[in-house]
Amino acid sequence: MAPLRGVRYPRCMPLADPLPGPPPSAPEEATLIDIRHVSRHYRRGVDEVHALDDVSLRIAPGRFVAFMGPSGSGKSTLMNLVSGLDRPSEGEVVVAGQSLGDLDEDELAAWRARHVGLIFQFFNLIPVLDARDNVALPLLLTDLGKAERHRRAETALRVVGLDHRLDHRPNTLSGGEQQRVAIARAIVTDPDLIVADEPTGDLDAKNAEATLGLLRELTDAFGKTIVMVTHDPRALRFVDEVFHLDKGLLLEGSDAERASEAIRLAAGGHASAGARP
Amino acid sequence: MKYAGLVLANLGRNKLRSLFTAGAIALAVLLVCLLMTMPAGLDRLISDLGSNTRISVHNKAGLVYSMPQSFTRKVRQLDGVLAAVSMTWFGGAYEEEGRVTFPNFAVEAEHVGSVYPDYVFTPGAVDEFVRHRDGAIVGRKIMRQYGWKVGDRITLRSTVWPANLDVRIVGEIADDNAPMLWINRTYLDETLKAAGRGGLGIAGIIWVRVDRPERVGALMSEIDEMSRNSESPTASETEKSFISNFFGSLKGFVTIILIVTALVSLCIVFIAANTASMAVRERSGEIAVMKAMGFGRRAIFGTLLAEATLLSTFAGALGVAGAIALTRALKTVATLGPTLGPLGNFTVTNDVVTAGLALSLFVGLLSGLVPALGAARKPVVDALREVF
Ligand SMILES: Nc1ncnc2c1ncn2[C@@H]1O[C@H](COP(=O)(O)OP(=O)(O)OP(=O)(O)O)[C@@H](O)[C@H]1O
Ligand SMILES: [Mg+2]
Repeated sequence: MAPLRGVRYPRCMPLADPLPGPPPSAPEEATLIDIRHVSRHYRRGVDEVHALDDVSLRIAPGRFVAFMGPSGSGKSTLMNLVSGLDRPSEGEVVVAGQSLGDLDEDELAAWRARHVGLIFQFFNLIPVLDARDNVALPLLLTDLGKAERHRRAETALRVVGLDHRLDHRPNTLSGGEQQRVAIARAIVTDPDLIVADEPTGDLDAKNAEATLGLLRELTDAFGKTIVMVTHDPRALRFVDEVFHLDKGLLLEGSDAERASEAIRLAAGGHASAGARP
Repeated sequence: MKYAGLVLANLGRNKLRSLFTAGAIALAVLLVCLLMTMPAGLDRLISDLGSNTRISVHNKAGLVYSMPQSFTRKVRQLDGVLAAVSMTWFGGAYEEEGRVTFPNFAVEAEHVGSVYPDYVFTPGAVDEFVRHRDGAIVGRKIMRQYGWKVGDRITLRSTVWPANLDVRIVGEIADDNAPMLWINRTYLDETLKAAGRGGLGIAGIIWVRVDRPERVGALMSEIDEMSRNSESPTASETEKSFISNFFGSLKGFVTIILIVTALVSLCIVFIAANTASMAVRERSGEIAVMKAMGFGRRAIFGTLLAEATLLSTFAGALGVAGAIALTRALKTVATLGPTLGPLGNFTVTNDVVTAGLALSLFVGLLSGLVPALGAARKPVVDALREVF
């Protein structure tokens, strides 16, 4: 669907600080996201909810990974920590060499603006802005002039195959199209990391596949690192790696394999291609 | 400035609500502006009532005490005095009424015209008054009240003097601010003499018209100085202060106006605050997403506050413009007839314009403050969790 190939996406956006960290020649060892013994507890009245319990994992740059698990297992919590929306109760989150714990509230917001693109289940476009202005919104946080902001928004919309809908407001777009606008908004700043919480949760089968395909192409064509929270078994065919969570714990080894198998079985034919290596 | 488009787009999101709120604020600011013109307008009304060059002279001991009529002639001689007329309380009751229901005075018919050039008399009234010693000039309100016409004969029984006078109405003062009746001093004087009394030797109040306003002060002291060592020392006042004594309650009225103004202002703060908090609540999802994207607390706070302030300032400007238009229209109406005259006294001055705009700016800031602060301070995860 998305006419990605042939479009030269500008790799030189002013927001794209060159990532500190290992050189791209050794991608196997490279780590973009390093989660070290992270826990997240919530107080709920007298009891304490352990949304995440001592989770450690690493994600290499340029990978498309999924967090999966039953409802309430801590997927969103983990994703919020990775994207700097939330802070752990214990442990450390390091993204591209930056320990997020060292940043204060405003620095963290600025860090997100520079390095993270966010995609949500319910698109959350601004209804009074057209597609182009919605996509250009994060660029308000840069010094770019209006013309340049629009130009980049148009480029991002071309990447998601919506350059013929520039002047459309969200309510005149289909669900799938709205999600593509949201994806364009997430990539317009050329972030290193894209995080998506249930991006296909509100879409029909066809649009869900198209969205997953588009995300896949963002890693393939532009080397984006994508972290996606999903329930969708179809995702297995598109992602490089799946992290399984259950009751705040990260499943490892045979537990993780069993979880993947269960999802594949539950999905029937949908996930027949299996996860990528 | 970059955010201007976003702020404007958000204002346009719920056009009807923005419109209603703007309408309420505009109307309230218009009201406040009109109220603020009132103290000054009333002041001007009083100074119009009393010509600036007219002073009243009365016995220092109080209005019920008199002065010798000869003093009127002395005052008339003074340099800078254009004319002077004495007015003496006749205290006449109409027919069988038995009590005084309207002020009536004996005046020197030949002098009233020059002391009151600003009064509107029916044509020929003053000449007729001078010519006929039993003539009377009556204020329009009393004419209406009793259903009299020029030419009618009436009897006034004095409650002060041993004299019942038959008078003929020769003219009317077409001014609701002159609710009194004048009879000819000579008529009363001669009647008293005929009754074996010594004649009317006294003057109640002397009204003096001065040639130039800036001479008023000096002349007042000169007159009072002249009578200081006599049996009846006088006190002079400008007509304006004389009249505002009658309007003594005006000060309280102004206080009420100010209280009403403050309440109306408070009322629009609530209206605007309601709109601002609804706008924030309705948009909490988008605000959460913007925060997640990296819009800082300042940007969120600033755009929301700008939205509330822009709306109320724009509406306030409309309200001020409305107040200007309305007072202009009143001024035009005021020229249509003498009774409508007072309407022309209310003017939206630059001070009122500034106050109206400042008020609307203040309303915007105050109303936007709490919702904007709340939205800006809410942690981003909590904001997202509420939405999803
Ligand atoms: N702010 C909070 N206060 C209290 N408990 C919370 C809070 N946020 C999350 N939790 C709890 O933490 C646990 C993990 O929540 P999380 O949202 O990460 O689950 P999830 O895996 O994303 O679930 P779902 O698939 O339903 O979205 C849940 O039990 C949830 O109720
Ligand atoms: Mg979740």
